[in-house]
Amino acid sequence: MASTQTPKSILKKNTSYPAASEARAERDRETALYHANLIQQRKDVEYEILLSTETLIDYPLATSPYDSGNPSPADAKTFKELLRPFQPSDYDVLITERNINERCGYTLCANPPHKERGGGKYRMVGKNGKGKDFKVVDKKELEKWCSEACAKRALYVRVQLSETAAWERGAWESTIKIDLLDEPKSESDTVVEGLQKLQLTEDVNARKKQGAADLALERGDQKGLAARNGLVDVKILEKDVQREPVAPSLQDEELSDRLDTMHLTLEGHTSSFGSRRNRRHEEDEDEEEASDWIM
Amino acid sequence: MNDDDSANKQREAGNRETARLWRAWRTVHELVQDRGYILSEEEVKISLEDFERKFRGGDNQIDKRTMQFSATPSDEMMKRYTNPSTDRDPIPPPPDVGTIFVQFQEGDSIGIKHMRKFAQDLTGGNYHTGILVTSVNITPAALKIIPAVASETKIETFLEADLLVNITHHELVPKHVLLSKEEKTALLQRYRLKDTQLPRIQVGDPVARYLGLRRGQVVKIIRKSETAGRYASYRLTV
Repeated sequence: MASTQTPKSILKKNTSYPAASEARAERDRETALYHANLIQQRKDVEYEILLSTETLIDYPLATSPYDSGNPSPADAKTFKELLRPFQPSDYDVLITERNINERCGYTLCANPPHKERGGGKYRMVGKNGKGKDFKVVDKKELEKWCSEACAKRALYVRVQLSETAAWERGAWESTIKIDLLDEPKSESDTVVEGLQKLQLTEDVNARKKQGAADLALERGDQKGLAARNGLVDVKILEKDVQREPVAPSLQDEELSDRLDTMHLTLEGHTSSFGSRRNRRHEEDEDEEEASDWIM
Repeated sequence: MNDDDSANKQREAGNRETARLWRAWRTVHELVQDRGYILSEEEVKISLEDFERKFRGGDNQIDKRTMQFSATPSDEMMKRYTNPSTDRDPIPPPPDVGTIFVQFQEGDSIGIKHMRKFAQDLTGGNYHTGILVTSVNITPAALKIIPAVASETKIETFLEADLLVNITHHELVPKHVLLSKEEKTALLQRYRLKDTQLPRIQVGDPVARYLGLRRGQVVKIIRKSETAGRYASYRLTV
């Protein structure tokens, strides 16, 4: 019986161990580097946000005739650009920092914030309207802005910011467009926009390229910030089909075989009762029984 | 009568504020001295009257803007921070310490601007380390400035409220002694350890903040023990 057999060791054989460990060390190093790069990117983005916040504390740069309702185009443009990587929480930080420097929370407003008179921590709001408008709010909330209009403008911008952190955003999110509440469409802007839309000579190649880029964006092929140096390298190759396509016919033998079960087919797979192995097992048992009987 | 009362109250409040500032002033001096910077005894043990005379501004209030001082490290401290020469680099980098500058910041909110200005003052004055003592919390965004300028100057922040008493004088706080790099290697060899095998102390630990510990440094903690008299343990700063 089994007594002649030597017992099988449960320990791992360590042949070819060093080679495996080297490959593994290399892979570990790559993984570590990958994550370190991610963290570095994240730090870079955070630092960029900090610098943007610092810049935006002193806005607006232009003085009269511009005001918060009618900001200078240059200021508005930089404001929108710098705000792109912001999350709503970063925007809140910007508001507090501006308040500390005695400025209205709305970045494009040059006025100092409104000061509530008297002591007390809370204020009653909406005493003149209906009952549902009535609220008790923190005094600090009211001292963030110079006026109701500015509060509206600032919060209008806030809701457009993406909740996802900038380093996790995909391609389509990092190009979000931010609108101001009462953005004046200056005449030159409209003209330029119209000119851009107006294409005199339709370039086929350019249109193709644009189409491909749109498709790639939709599929998520374009790599975002985080995926720029991913661990896996996925390449999709198009399969070239050379021969002429032939329409299927009922005379085809393969097809006619499958014809009676075709209505059960799901995406090319025909399910059956029990797995193949089970069936084979049953057949084996039958044979064994048969041979037992003979013995 | 009523006016008298309110005037009294105001004076008392002023006195209380003065006393608070005086205590913080003394603690921060002790802190600087305990780290090994050179300060004279009369600077550290300033009395309340002298303090009031020195910093009272025009409106009978303590003027925080004048509350600042600097100190240079002693030879002993320089020695404790020197990097020992090794085979790999025979000429070690110079010790990472220098003059310290302490400032009390006024204002009821400290933002990015204040922090930037403080950092600029430090680099402008060629100070290696800066301590900013504030009466209110600093905004989170402003705290992000600290790592951003860490290559030029090291900034530490303390709250006035945290400096009212010197925590290291409390009987339940054992004595912490910073080990030099040589002492650290000797310790690790003596017990055949890697430094990660030591017990740890966090950088944000109140005593670690008091001593200005940095990552990788080792402190010796000397406790009283009923059975052994004194008991020393070592902790790695993480």
